[in-house]
Amino acid sequence: MNNFVGLSAVLTGFAAATIAPAIDPINIKAEYYAKFQAEIGNNLFFQILSDFQTRNTPPGSNQTQEEKNQLIGEAMLAGSNGENYVMSCRKLIFLWYSGAWPTVDGDTTSSQMLSAKSYTQGLAWQVMQSHPMGDSNYRYGYWAKEPADLSGYTGNNN
Amino acid sequence: MKLTFKALILFISLMLLHACSSKKEKKGYANLPPANSSDVVISSTIPTQITSTGDPVTLESLQHDFDVLSWQSFIALNWPANADGTPKENAIFGANESGMTVWQSWKSSREIFLPHGKKPNAWGEVENIPIVCDSISAEDLEKGIITLTQVGKTPNVLDESGEPFQTGPLIDQNGNYTRYEILTNEVMFDYIVDNELYSYEGQKAFGKDADFPFSDPDTGKEGAIMVKAAWIKMEGKYDASQFHTAYALVYDNPHEQAKVKPACSLVKVGLVGFHIAHKTKGDPQWVWSTFEHVANAPTQGEPVNRNFYNYHDPTSTYPVNEPPARPWNPANTGTTPTKVERVIPIDNDAKALNTKYQAALEKMFKGSVWANYELISTQWPTDANNVSDQTGKPAPTFLANATLETYIQGKVPQTSSNCIACHNNASMTNGMFSDFTYLLQRAEGKEIKEKK
Repeated sequence: MNNFVGLSAVLTGFAAATIAPAIDPINIKAEYYAKFQAEIGNNLFFQILSDFQTRNTPPGSNQTQEEKNQLIGEAMLAGSNGENYVMSCRKLIFLWYSGAWPTVDGDTTSSQMLSAKSYTQGLAWQVMQSHPMGDSNYRYGYWAKEPADLSGYTGNNN
Repeated sequence: MKLTFKALILFISLMLLHACSSKKEKKGYANLPPANSSDVVISSTIPTQITSTGDPVTLESLQHDFDVLSWQSFIALNWPANADGTPKENAIFGANESGMTVWQSWKSSREIFLPHGKKPNAWGEVENIPIVCDSISAEDLEKGIITLTQVGKTPNVLDESGEPFQTGPLIDQNGNYTRYEILTNEVMFDYIVDNELYSYEGQKAFGKDADFPFSDPDTGKEGAIMVKAAWIKMEGKYDASQFHTAYALVYDNPHEQAKVKPACSLVKVGLVGFHIAHKTKGDPQWVWSTFEHVANAPTQGEPVNRNFYNYHDPTSTYPVNEPPARPWNPANTGTTPTKVERVIPIDNDAKALNTKYQAALEKMFKGSVWANYELISTQWPTDANNVSDQTGKPAPTFLANATLETYIQGKVPQTSSNCIACHNNASMTNGMFSDFTYLLQRAEGKEIKEKK
């Protein structure tokens, strides 16, 4: 699970502690972990996680963690990994951002929402500093106020 | 006095354990050894923070710690009270099932938010009862007063008979409406009075978000606490010896529903549901504890193994968790009883904790009615200072009391009962945040009345 969370953080640009906090009552990662494994199959699933683990070394002395993460992400999405490998990583990004698993058919992408919980947890809403339609944890009158800084949503300094 | 020697030894032991646990509280949460012995504390002291027992600290260990805090709070608030509402320190918990408890001495919402935004009476001064209650004979009222409180306090007025958001009333097995009341402690009351938040005009002048004082373990100061209680009339199918009881003025409130005529009666009622919301230093979203009588309702997916449930007749063909048809009127007797089932099971750790506490309460005083109550769960913020989610990501995500949120149980976001997420939307009459209480919306004002 740690490698799955680390991989997800690198691919989404969110901090691991934001998408999968240590004290995690929502635990959407478990739902996504199971879906990702079921959809891409065990061989590719463990290959991707193993590659991430290998690449996930501490940052160099002249490198920040975010710079290191950027490099890992680029390596995971490199074409040399193979089309299916890269598409699987991209689908994982889609899953985290939308809460839905995509099906790509030529130029057409359709998707199916995993659950009501995954709908509310989509990272797309966080990046927009907003909330899903029909589900809001903001207080009355929030629309008249500035949202929190983006870093408050992603957990990263971006 | 039924107190046995064994019970006395247990009481002393528990007091010593409480002293130990209090010392641990001051050290903070981190790196404390497992302290199962501190799980059961029977004391009149309201805890101001959890005592962390997890090593490592996990979601489950923290949930356990908050559940322990809930039980300690439940006991402290239900502790027998002196005339001024302070706990009787030498009382044996459970020895007087119908005596006034600490929280029953608090101010009810009816006493705080008065017609025309009038300033409420000071703490300790009784508010007038509804005029229609004057029809109760002084002799009967006196009997109620003596039996209920022995301190001359007017019996509490139960003036609510509906669940939140007009989801409906809850009908007991005798066909009577369940009654509700909301009360605040003195800290919360003082904040409302000092800032004139009891009136529309006062809130308008206040002009900012409400921010009630919190309980601070560093200073020992108690913060804002509010409770909500659900009661049923002790008659017919109910055995009063199984409940914490009180005499109360059951008031049919014409402001609740159309065509309700004011009426009042002094009746013996039994406690079936109890919410506690407590603002603490580490939990600005408040800690939400909820308790029920053990015989309220079976849980879906679990055996129906009691001979009698307060809100469930297995032979009834009435749809489960469905309110009665409108129009609703608490004066209607003989309404078809609600068939209640608990939708979210009590988790195993809370069940084990309930068993521990119930055993300790029974040992402390044989036949204690308090052993007939159980914790459903505690909701608390896991990430209290999260800037993008002011609910603080509560755990568990959903929590409902079968007597207080009967019809909104479940796990549907924005629909099912979630204490913190729901109260996060609460505002005052001026639209400003009311700090997780809907009570402030009850404020009336001269202007509003004049417009009508």
